[in-house]
Amino acid sequence: MFNHGRRRTRVGISLGLVLVFAAPLLGQFGPSFPLTHARLKNGLKVILSEDPSLPVVSVAVAYNVGSVHEPFGKAGLATIMENLMFRGSANVAPFQHFNFINRVGGELSASTSEDRTIFYQTVPSNQLALVLWLESDRMRSLEINEGAFERARMALLDDLLQKKSEPYYDSQLSFDQLIYSDFPHSHPVLGTEENARNLTVEDARNFYTGYYAPNNAVLCITGNFNKLSVSELVARYFETIPRGKDVSQSFEPPVYTRQPVIKTFQDVLASAPAFHLGFRIAPPFSNDFYTLSIVDYILFRGRSSRLTRRLLGRDNKIAYQAAGGIEKRKDRAIYRIFCVVNNMAMAERCQEAIFAELDRLKRTVLSEPDLVRTKTMFKRDYLERLSSSMERALFLCESFLSLRNFDDVPLELDKYMKVTANDIVGILNRYFTADNSIILNVKTK
Amino acid sequence: MKKIQLRFAVWVVLSGMSVFPQQERFRRSPPPPEPLQELKLPRIERAVLSNQLNVSIVTRENAPFSSLQLIVFAGESLSPNVPAGTATFVASLLGRGTLVRSVLDVEEFLDSIGGAFSISVGQDHILLTFHFMEEYLDPALGFLSQVLLQPNFTRTEIDYAKFTTTYDLVAKEKDPDFVSRRHLARMLFQNHPYEKFAFSSDAIKAWNQTSLADFFDRFYRPNNARIIFASSLSLNAATRKISQYLNLWQPRDLPPIALPPLKVPEKERICLVDVPQSRECMAYVGTVFPNPGNPERFDLAVLNQVLGGTPTSRLFMNLRESKAFANFAYSEAEFYRAGGLFLVRAKVRPEAIAPALQEIRKEIRTLTKEPVSSLEIEQAKSYLIFNFPLRIERYDEFSRRMADNQARNDGEEFWSRYYEQVMLVNADRVFATAQKLLGQPLILVIAGDKSVLSERLTDLETYDVFDAKGQFQYTVTKDKKGAAHEAR
Repeated sequence: MFNHGRRRTRVGISLGLVLVFAAPLLGQFGPSFPLTHARLKNGLKVILSEDPSLPVVSVAVAYNVGSVHEPFGKAGLATIMENLMFRGSANVAPFQHFNFINRVGGELSASTSEDRTIFYQTVPSNQLALVLWLESDRMRSLEINEGAFERARMALLDDLLQKKSEPYYDSQLSFDQLIYSDFPHSHPVLGTEENARNLTVEDARNFYTGYYAPNNAVLCITGNFNKLSVSELVARYFETIPRGKDVSQSFEPPVYTRQPVIKTFQDVLASAPAFHLGFRIAPPFSNDFYTLSIVDYILFRGRSSRLTRRLLGRDNKIAYQAAGGIEKRKDRAIYRIFCVVNNMAMAERCQEAIFAELDRLKRTVLSEPDLVRTKTMFKRDYLERLSSSMERALFLCESFLSLRNFDDVPLELDKYMKVTANDIVGILNRYFTADNSIILNVKTK
Repeated sequence: MKKIQLRFAVWVVLSGMSVFPQQERFRRSPPPPEPLQELKLPRIERAVLSNQLNVSIVTRENAPFSSLQLIVFAGESLSPNVPAGTATFVASLLGRGTLVRSVLDVEEFLDSIGGAFSISVGQDHILLTFHFMEEYLDPALGFLSQVLLQPNFTRTEIDYAKFTTTYDLVAKEKDPDFVSRRHLARMLFQNHPYEKFAFSSDAIKAWNQTSLADFFDRFYRPNNARIIFASSLSLNAATRKISQYLNLWQPRDLPPIALPPLKVPEKERICLVDVPQSRECMAYVGTVFPNPGNPERFDLAVLNQVLGGTPTSRLFMNLRESKAFANFAYSEAEFYRAGGLFLVRAKVRPEAIAPALQEIRKEIRTLTKEPVSSLEIEQAKSYLIFNFPLRIERYDEFSRRMADNQARNDGEEFWSRYYEQVMLVNADRVFATAQKLLGQPLILVIAGDKSVLSERLTDLETYDVFDAKGQFQYTVTKDKKGAAHEAR
């Protein structure tokens, strides 16, 4: 069914699976690990990556759905659904998923973001069938009743209450609305209390039916598994799950006018002034995105990065806290910086320092040692994401849902490693400019 | 209509109580496991270098990273009484530049090799952890040699370390988790060298160049250290490399270290530590025990798993899932040279602190009164056995585990007989351990906003109140009519 290595096999055809492709291509810098993938008739994408070194296997099921898919007024549904997925299905009692995994020494978790909901677990390799049984049961027959829904809603309200008590959370939401502007991208993953109270069990059922279907999901198995039996198991548990309706993954293209925006927000919980600064950048995994990722490392990754030193350097520290990075929300991306400062005058000084450092980078081509150092850090973090079967499974799910062509996975690292100093200057001039900046100054009460 | 409903109900019953039609038979129950595969641990080989440095080499093929752990038996218990915290002070200065590299150079260097360098300080030892991309092996080992042979203890660095450590500690003193854990350590390790670990920000003022240089010179010696090195190199190649860079590190005679055994508290004590304006509340319950031998270690591991090792253990299921009193509730055991520490740790909703404490005590008491069922024991053992390979999957986790193992002198047999030892644990042994460990007086520490918590603790007969630094404030005692009185 699956093509392991370069050899293709026809076993899958008899099981009703459609073999799509196997990708043993390796890039110059890329990690070398076996990778095969196929798609079942019902549209479920299946990715396998074998590593026999320890008797451990990880299974991740990622649904291509997150808060961006929530209808207006229904914010919080994606998070409620994540919770409901543990509250029982046709053959698994509420919370038994935890118990089944825990009793065999396994570990599990789940996460919901703007554009994905991922469920993942690692177990001893002899328990692979158990995990596939559990995952297939909730993909096929989740039980969404009033009681379970109410408890999931209460959990969401608790999380919201907790979030609302965090300083700068409200300012972050306000900044999101400024920089993303449309409802799907700008509303928070947890939603709002008002929306959460208005959601109904029917909303949850519709959301499940619409998005938790095999054709909107990817199943990834990594680690130690039997090559022959894994395809049989996948077919057994997932093949007969009915395909769902096709899901639209396209959104209205954004219309932004390029002009600087500076606003002020009062945060009653903040103990010190702060500011959010963002630049709208190219969409995830577009051609510019590779250089943008290296720029991120130049600016804020590692202790020697430019803005870390400029803002937090031990002899010239001008911010209490400073952090920055690329934020991806489905088809949009921004470069986001957040600084906590002593007073508003220091906020201004920090912003000047950021723009001065960006100007310096635009004027001077990055030296070869600096570029090599930056790429080494990037490569380390990239390879770290493959260090365990769980991390590899998450990496592969993420790659499948993000990349235009999943077959490019082994070549991805090369694209980052081939970024040149001139590419960096070009990107900085294109995106990191005053007229593309959005600033939200946060004042204390 | 009624007939139709009845038929439907009969059909539901006949089809296995499922409302999902055409369910395949195999979906009804969990599949049996495949035969368990043998766990083959990476090869571990040992060597002693000419300067008496013990080296353990773990060879993992095709790993893009190398991971080096250096244990030095220079933990906080070896700090002088004044200034307390010297071990932490020395550790915080290592890696902040060397005689030949400034702090900025070090930062750039570490980034350039894809490196991560950190030091943690324990009661008995420090653990230096150094990960880097394997292709930079030589520069990385060269840097480690500079850290150990040419540390930079200049006044500027000392002042900066004092400033940042004070700043960090003051910030941590607003965190109920840190405050309560530190207070529990103070209560349990009173008048023992381990008490020094719980130093406060006031101790930092007394840190000085002479004491830290003395401490470093005395304890940071190869014959007082061990290295665990995981990479794709063979034993010979790895020891040759390490020897090349660390052969100038000179051994020195060390006086034997005699630590008195930890003393079990004479009576139960409840402490409320005030963290003004904190929205969170932490509850710690703990006790100490003499160092267990190998079979007892495993009994304790199973007991811990039953009580609070994971989210499916009793504490979490009761306090969070059933009663919703706590955000989490776990238990854990720590092992030191002079004994062990067993504690329960729960992040409690402040308004639920009183019933949460009752439930924690009830769970502990139950274990000392009723043996755990065989089924629950087997489930706990199953978790411990099958979870083990998951814990060593990452190259850095594996070497970290090895370092812990070596720091505690667990011996060669600990891992090779791990499965066997867990399998031998039974309900009687766990019950005996629970009675011995949890039947003794416990120390309870609650940390949070006193103004909120004291209103909820009216059922307690007596408790002591402390400020966030741990200074005693007063004792609250309830009289016969139930009114609370404060006594200083």
